[in-house]
Amino acid sequence: MSLSPLIRKILLVDLIKGLKVTFDYQKPSEAITEQYPLERPVIFERYRGQPRLKVDPESGSSMCIVCNLCALACPEQLIVVKGERNPATKRKEPVSWTYDLSRCMFCGLCAEACSTDALELTQDFEMALYSREGMVLDQAALERGQEPVRYVK
Amino acid sequence: MLDAITNYLHSSATPGEAGSMTWATIYILIITIGISLAVISMNWLERKILAHMQIRLGPMRVGPHGLLQPFADALKLLIKEDIIPENADKLVFWMAPVVVTMTSFTTFLVVPFGRQHAVTDMNIGILFMLGVSSLGVLGVIMGGWSSNSHYPLMGGLRSSAQMVSYEVAMGLAIVCAVLMTSLQTGTGTLSMIGIVQAQQQQHVWFIFKMFPLGFLAFAIFAIAMVAETNRAPFDLPEAESELVAGFHTEYSGFRWSLFFLAEYAAMLAVSSIAVTLWLGGWMRPFPTWLHGPIWNLAFSYVPALTFLVLAQLCFVGAARMPKIPQMRIQTVGLGAFGALLGLVALVLLLPGVNERVQDIYWFTVKVAFFMYLYIWYRGTFPRYRFDQLMKVGWKILLPTGLGVLIATAIAGLFPQISSAILGVLQ
Repeated sequence: MSLSPLIRKILLVDLIKGLKVTFDYQKPSEAITEQYPLERPVIFERYRGQPRLKVDPESGSSMCIVCNLCALACPEQLIVVKGERNPATKRKEPVSWTYDLSRCMFCGLCAEACSTDALELTQDFEMALYSREGMVLDQAALERGQEPVRYVK
Repeated sequence: MLDAITNYLHSSATPGEAGSMTWATIYILIITIGISLAVISMNWLERKILAHMQIRLGPMRVGPHGLLQPFADALKLLIKEDIIPENADKLVFWMAPVVVTMTSFTTFLVVPFGRQHAVTDMNIGILFMLGVSSLGVLGVIMGGWSSNSHYPLMGGLRSSAQMVSYEVAMGLAIVCAVLMTSLQTGTGTLSMIGIVQAQQQQHVWFIFKMFPLGFLAFAIFAIAMVAETNRAPFDLPEAESELVAGFHTEYSGFRWSLFFLAEYAAMLAVSSIAVTLWLGGWMRPFPTWLHGPIWNLAFSYVPALTFLVLAQLCFVGAARMPKIPQMRIQTVGLGAFGALLGLVALVLLLPGVNERVQDIYWFTVKVAFFMYLYIWYRGTFPRYRFDQLMKVGWKILLPTGLGVLIATAIAGLFPQISSAILGVLQ
């Protein structure tokens, strides 16, 4: 550090320092590349991916109460929920649910608006499809969620 | 027939000295194949090492750890469409890659991989190497000019200016080493084998001779040789962000791969000049300090040991492969490759082979060190601006080179000078 700039220049001190940095990085175990299909990537907690409707684990019925708040919150208006009041339980239950993934931008406003925490955006990310047909999810698909894709030759 | 072969193998003469055309042809074939293999492995190593330096993995998919990637690339290049631009000067466009490749391969005629392992021992060897490798500039200019396009023209001009100006500093550094060959015998030599033998007789590599003069000359050469081969951080002719790909922008397919081959062969050639002149050529490390039969025996096992370690690495890699059916072929392949390397190690342990291959091994190790340096520089240093490049060449390397040359001459003549002065005084 106390060397004068000229001596530093002549002895190529800065260049040698740089060489040392790159040399130290060489350990292959330090590489941050993920071998994606072979190993699952690390998904962060706040990642917003595939939407999912939760089911009450005890009764097996949907946690959605058809309050329509998600549909109102959605900037793309891609959620359409229709429901009926169940005379037995006196609760509103969804009859049809559609969620158009092809227009979704994963802003998460629907999940935030949900009054019962029934709708959430999970960390699943493998949503690519070969056609648009499967993009509109119905209640069954939303409740089933996504199964991790296995890549086989 | 068999007698002739064994007789030749027991003699210690290069094919040129023995006057044998057959052996010269065989040597040339072996060297050509060897250089091509070296370029292929260098391609893989460069991508891998550079990737690791940038905390990436590099090629991983084609073969185990991307080992087959260079072959896939070569195949791709070979079956690509061969395009010659409509307004290009067809003949010159066709000639340029040929000239570049031929010159860079011709230099290996005089490279001494061992006492017997050079095609010929030319008495102007180092001059021949410099001259022929300078001819490569012609090919670069031809390629840049005949493409009839802006970027190649600019790239060609840049690389020819760079190569010509760094040749001067390079030549001065080489003259320093040539001066040193005359120190004990009084007669210097330009022969590549003679230079190594001079180091053998003086019991010191020229890099440590007359410290720091030898080291300075070596440092000048080491910088100039990076610029000479247009590699990072002096890769202005191929500056991707400015000039697309420099003089070979318009080239594609096989012609482009010839340029690629020539660039790496030229890197190998200048590295072998540096090894021959300053790092003792084919000599093993510490030939005088650690001498005696025991050390000789120990050092003679190093080549086989290296291959055994490589084989071991392959086996470990095969064992650590993911255990899934899709990777089974790769695992088996890596294991087979390791077995092959182990077999090579066993062959190298045979006494006759061992003796004859040792010097090639040490030469190759030294050259490999320089090739690693090339990659290391590329992974570390940002590119110079063109005026900075010229400034380094003409204002720093050239005067230093001249100073080192004069100092070497004075230091070499010091005994005579001092005795003359003493004689005058008495």
